[in-house]
Parts: sequence; structure tokens; C-alpha cells
Amino acid sequence: MTTLTTSLIAPSIKNRPKWGFVCGRISALEGKLLPREFFPSIIEMHHTEDVFQHLQGTLIEDYLDPGVPWEDFSAVADRCFYDYAVSIRRDCPSPVPADLFLIKNDYLNIKTALAGMEDIRFLPGMIPENTIISILDGEYDDLPPAFRERITGSSINVSEMDQSLSDIFVDGAYLRQMLALASAIDSPLIQTCVRELVSGHVVSALWRVLRQDRDLRQVADYLLPVGDEDLLVLELADIRDPSAWPEIIGGELGDLLSRALQMPFEEQVSTFDLKVTNLVLHMATYARFETSGPERVFDFLMALEAEMQNLKLVVTGKINRIDPDILAQRLRYVNV
Amino acid sequence: MTPEWIEIGRGLCYAGAGLTFGLAGAGSAFGIAIASHAAAGVMREKPELFGRMLVMVALPGTQGFYGFIAAILIMTQTGLIAGGPIKISLGTGLALFFIGLGNGIAQLISAIKQGEASAAGISLVARRPESAGRAILFPAFVETYAVVALLATILFIIFLTQPAILQQVIQ
Repeated sequence: MTTLTTSLIAPSIKNRPKWGFVCGRISALEGKLLPREFFPSIIEMHHTEDVFQHLQGTLIEDYLDPGVPWEDFSAVADRCFYDYAVSIRRDCPSPVPADLFLIKNDYLNIKTALAGMEDIRFLPGMIPENTIISILDGEYDDLPPAFRERITGSSINVSEMDQSLSDIFVDGAYLRQMLALASAIDSPLIQTCVRELVSGHVVSALWRVLRQDRDLRQVADYLLPVGDEDLLVLELADIRDPSAWPEIIGGELGDLLSRALQMPFEEQVSTFDLKVTNLVLHMATYARFETSGPERVFDFLMALEAEMQNLKLVVTGKINRIDPDILAQRLRYVNV
Repeated sequence: MTPEWIEIGRGLCYAGAGLTFGLAGAGSAFGIAIASHAAAGVMREKPELFGRMLVMVALPGTQGFYGFIAAILIMTQTGLIAGGPIKISLGTGLALFFIGLGNGIAQLISAIKQGEASAAGISLVARRPESAGRAILFPAFVETYAVVALLATILFIIFLTQPAILQQVIQ
């Protein structure tokens, strides 16, 4: 796997004046992002209600109604991220940077629909609700090409798959669409970040399947194709020992996998996922070298998503009385 | 020197005047547009910062005026404005043409780059409004070279169009 280092990407970032408006707006919004020190201080608080006071003046402030129970905080944080992503998408000359985040919900909704559930549980991104609902009737014609084209002309019958295989199949379509979206925009930084995310997702998906003691080859067939990662998937599928994977993967992802393997067994996969996300969050911050361009949008949405995930982790962790040390370890990278 | 060459000399210096304000004006328009996009985006979230951003949006506009000053100076020194047109040799006309072109290019590029520097300063003000005073310094540094280009242009125009020099060249 080739990993373009961030030092090579940074000089290729260009200022693009037509992105000036949305980037000006993002500069104003970045001033409201929560700093790194905020989360440990929240973890230390004794009462969940104290968190409310500390969230005044932040991006989530308008979404916090004192009457809303804290148990609904996750939904509130998701709504906040979704609204900002949709609003920023409208201001962008190209929707690609925002779509990279919004399609996640669409594929979660596809998974739900394929499982036979009628509720649209996640806020829809690019795919309309009625297209998702039509999946229940076996209609896949309006789904994105990343999903549809894999079924056309193949023997795959999504409705007859068991839940975990169907989830893997949808994951593959999601990753293909991520790669297709990234290639639609002239940004080496975004393309590299997306490739790292896709590679990380592929590795953790296979790792989870391996832990279920399933046939990796069969699973790989449902996951593929995923662009340049096809060869990697096939190579990993042949080796059922994850400790041999870092050498095959190589680069920064290989190093992250090596470090994750040193963690206790139950925490290995989640630690790897967290480390990959943190790597991409760190890479995305190189966008701050530019004044205007799609990279700024991508970086902001990455940072906002991390902030919402961190808030959800901290608030739900406090409600469920999870050890503060564990919460602190699971916080995503914050560079504010 | 034949009258046709004198006419070509005069034509060249007016072409230089046209280029100097044309390029400088275009640069200012570009520069202000770049800064305005950023400022409008900031105002969507923080309209109270309008006053702090206004100077940075207006800064790239000065190059247009510098181009205008250089063009007017060429026109007055060669007698197109105030006084009758004077005889200008091909050499002097060519020199004034390239002085106008050089000034125009300097103003064009500095205005665009100042617009980018202003947009970066506006981004800084959006994040930290208390930094407005320092943020304005960076685009102001770009201004230095627009002013230097204008000063050099003024000196060249004045020395090249001194009556004694024009007379010597014609003779």
C-alpha cells in the first residue's frame, strides 16, 4: 500500500477563491470548536448538568434544550452535525466534501432497510427516504451505482443474505462510493485521507469477521471491489493471523495495527479504528495551511464529527458511570 | 526623426497608460473579490465583525488608484491632459509603454496577492476577533511593493518627460 505522506501533500494545497465564502464561514465556526482541554475537564465533572453550562457558546448550544433528557444527547449531537453538514454543503461550489460525511447515514439506512426494518433511523444524506423505503420491496434501481452495479449481472441476492454478510456488502458499496466521491474532486489531501479511511475500514471489517471465525475469502468477495485496496483485501483474506497483517499493510496503517495488537484482546479492533480516525484527523489539519479550498471544508467536518463523537462519549459515559480513564483513552484527536 | 515615428512614440506611451490602469484596476477587482468572499462567509456567522474586516476587504482596492495615478501622470506629462501634445520619440514612447506595463503587472499581482493575504487575515479575525490589529499587518506588507512600484513609475515618467530630455531626443 502506498501512503502519500502529509509532508508531500501540504505543498500541493492551493488557495481556491471560489471556496472563499464557505471557508470564511468555516473560519468563524472554527472559533466555536471545543479545545482539547475541554474534554478532560468535562470528564472530571461530578454532575452531568454541569456539562450544559460549559456547552454555552459552542456549536451545539442551539440544540440543547434544558427540557431534553440527557439520554437523548446522542440524537441531539447527530442532528447538530447533520444540520451543519447540510448547511455547509449548500454553500460549497462542489458538494463532495460534505457528501463524504452525509453518505454514511444513507448506508446505515440501507443496512436497516435490508434488515427489514421500516423506520428510517438516520438522517438522510444524498439518498431520499422513498428510495430507502423501496428497498423493503426489493427495489434497488434508484440506489447509487456503487451498490447497484455490484448486483447487476452477478449472482448476488442481497435479500437472501444473512445480516452480517449483507452488512459487509453494504460496507463495500459505501467504501466504493467514498472513493468515487474523493476522485471527483481535485484534492490530493482529501483523496489521501479517504484512501486511509477506506483502508482502515477494510482492515477492521476483515478483523471483526475473523474474530467471528468466518471464511474470510467469502466475506472478501462481498466486500470487493474497493479500488486500489483489492489486492490488500485478498492478501489479508489468505492469512488468518492478524499479527502477520502489519507487514502486508505497511506504512502508517501497518504501524497503527502493530500498536493496536499490543492492546488487550477486547480493545484491539476498537483501538485500531480510533487510531485510524485520529491519523486522518491529524492529516486533515494540513488543510489549515490554505485560506480557501475544499480541504478546509473536509477538515472542519472531520473536526466537528470528532467533537460530536467526543461529546457523545463523554455525556453517555458519565450517564452510564464509565470509568473516566477509559473515557479519556477513547477520545478522538482534537486540534483546536 | 520623421513625424510618423513621433506619432508611434506617442501612441506607445498612451498604450502604456492604458495598460497601467487597466491591469491595476483588474487586479484590484480580483483582490477585493477574494477578500469579499471570505468576509461575506464570516458575516454569515458573525455579522458583528463587519467593521473589523472592512479595511482588509478595501486594501486591495488601492492598487487600482495607483494605476490611475500612473496613467494620469503619463497623460499630463505628455500633454494629452492640460497643454498641447508634445513630440515623443519612439525610444521615449517605448520606455513609457514598458514603464506603464511594468507598473500594471506589479499592481495586478500585488492586488491579487493582497486579496489572498486579506482573506487569510479575515480568517484569523473570524477565529480570534481580538487579533484584528495584527491581522491587518500582513496584507499591509504586500501594499509596500505596490507603493514602491508606483514611486518608481512616477520617477521614471517625470525624468523621461523632462522638456530638456524630450528636446535632446527629438534633435
